[in-house]
Amino acid sequence: MARVIGLRLLGSIGAVFGATILAFVIMRLLPGNPARLILGPLATQHAVSSLSQEIGLDKPIYVQYWRYISDFFQGNWGYSYSDGESVRQLIGERAPATIELAIYSFAFTILAAVGLALASTYRHRPITDRIVRGASYLGFGTPPFFLALLLLIVFFKTFHLLPGPEGRLGVEATPPPAVTRMYTVDALLAGQLGTFWEAFEHLILPSLALGISSFSFLVRLLRANLLEVSREPFITVARGKGLRRWTAFRRHALPNAFLPTLTAGGLVLGEFLAGSVLIERVFNWPGVGSLVFDAIVKQDYAIVQTFILLSAVMFVLVNLVVDLLYAVIDPRVRIPSVASA
Amino acid sequence: MDSGSLTIAGEDVAAVQPPNRSGSTAARASAGAGRTLRTILADRKLALPSIVLLVLVLFAIFGPIIWNHSPDTQNLINSLESPSLSHPLGTDQLGRDVLARVADGARISLLVATLITVAGAIVGGLIGLLAGTIGGASDGVVMRIMDAILAFPPLILAMAVTVGFGIGLDTAAIGVALVSVPWYARLLRSEALRIRSLPFIEAAHAMGATRRRIITRHVVPHMLPVLFIQMAAALGYAVIALAGLSFIGLGAQVPTPEWGAMMTEGLSYSLTGQWWISICPGVALLITVTAVSMLSDRMRDLMDPRGHYARL
Repeated sequence: MARVIGLRLLGSIGAVFGATILAFVIMRLLPGNPARLILGPLATQHAVSSLSQEIGLDKPIYVQYWRYISDFFQGNWGYSYSDGESVRQLIGERAPATIELAIYSFAFTILAAVGLALASTYRHRPITDRIVRGASYLGFGTPPFFLALLLLIVFFKTFHLLPGPEGRLGVEATPPPAVTRMYTVDALLAGQLGTFWEAFEHLILPSLALGISSFSFLVRLLRANLLEVSREPFITVARGKGLRRWTAFRRHALPNAFLPTLTAGGLVLGEFLAGSVLIERVFNWPGVGSLVFDAIVKQDYAIVQTFILLSAVMFVLVNLVVDLLYAVIDPRVRIPSVASA
Repeated sequence: MDSGSLTIAGEDVAAVQPPNRSGSTAARASAGAGRTLRTILADRKLALPSIVLLVLVLFAIFGPIIWNHSPDTQNLINSLESPSLSHPLGTDQLGRDVLARVADGARISLLVATLITVAGAIVGGLIGLLAGTIGGASDGVVMRIMDAILAFPPLILAMAVTVGFGIGLDTAAIGVALVSVPWYARLLRSEALRIRSLPFIEAAHAMGATRRRIITRHVVPHMLPVLFIQMAAALGYAVIALAGLSFIGLGAQVPTPEWGAMMTEGLSYSLTGQWWISICPGVALLITVTAVSMLSDRMRDLMDPRGHYARL
């Protein structure tokens, strides 16, 4: 067990190392002198060269690389080229909005995926199964930003059921007192049910749009696994000893079918990170994604670089946690001969 | 599906046989093509996406020729017109014909996505093949590089490459292609390892075949089905990723009628009632990606012996 975890940890460190090199190389490819980008086109040549010296651009490449990664892991993410603010502060301010959106999206995705996968396999009804499979195909082919637009047109423009792309709260609403800075949580903590409801309403459409790809992926995976597990002898035994269908599903089929789905956790996170840039643009959601989008438009690469490397590190970490969880839950993974194969 | 799978199984064998160099192949080829066509048409899950894709390709080739509106001609007097007979998909904020732009966008999306897929398959396939057949230290190094690429969430890496090389459709395409390289490399490496251990390779070796001959005549043909399945899956991803990058302004730039770029241009008009500017390219995108992913799924079901999905 310790060996498996050790190997996996080493692998993750290697992946993060590789990712930092890749990110560093890409950063060096950027046209122009970073010092010039920071100071802007009006700065004198003298100012540019003194800043290059100060941020170490005249040092050998490996020194620059070392400085780059040690700064990154110490949280010194540099300053925005466009307004000189600390990148860490900018991302920190925006993070709660994105995290809140991701949590709701994750919850909706899991609920919908489990529910539909169950519906399509629970009783062998070809029609429900066909509908679920068709939905997952369509979900797979729907670009999330397109779904976002469709949802807005239907639920906001046409039927006025849900709020439009105005961010996290309506224009006149005041945010609840900041504790976690996730509005639904803070509103509940402060006992402001009205604010909670408003924040929740604003979360529905973006989190549906953000979750669509992960949803169709999970439904297909879960459905295939449920079908496979439900043919296993132990399900026949469970039913044979008199368990009701639901009990057999809940106690025996679902936990086993869910195991392979765990691995999809990393994929879901990757989807959410990239999706946040696309979805937040449509909904004017004041999160990290729209910060990155604005940075792209303003060519403020300090923010974009940090976001890219941060995403890679988080992606690797989540995949690591998932794999370790897997080892804890599934005894077969713990046997080294199977794990290293 | 029962009878269909039998014929396909036969075709599968035919596909992996090394190409026949002897003469009089023309007649056999046309008979083979006819049989392939019949097999495709008999299988509804294969026929539907194939026909949709064929229509899309025809639309991309002939649409801009037949529909003689220029995608770039502005006509401010007729801007934001809803769909009508003269403009079946309406006009956008600059009075450009949306149908002409969607048709032109089909050319861009299909062509660039195909190029991305082929480029990724060639580069990743070669890497996987060499890593799997030569092995040794180069295998370890190359596969670690592939792991580093896989450490990034796919679209984020494509964003990084695009930002690094300078924003544009070409760099976005390079970014998306780069993302797909490790998929092919990993898959084909494991395929090469698997095939290498099969008895007939040993037999070929015993008969004195050179390593080069074994790789080109025995290993590669056996890898092709898996490669094609992966390419079909990657094609859908390429279309969607390219549109996504253009949508956030990293891919095609205005006034290029790329679908993602068109959607972002029409975004602010969607909620004031002029929905067609964004929705039409979006629907085109949706149809393309759904058809491609249906096709790749069906191909996987039929061709990949390991991918027997549980099905009722």
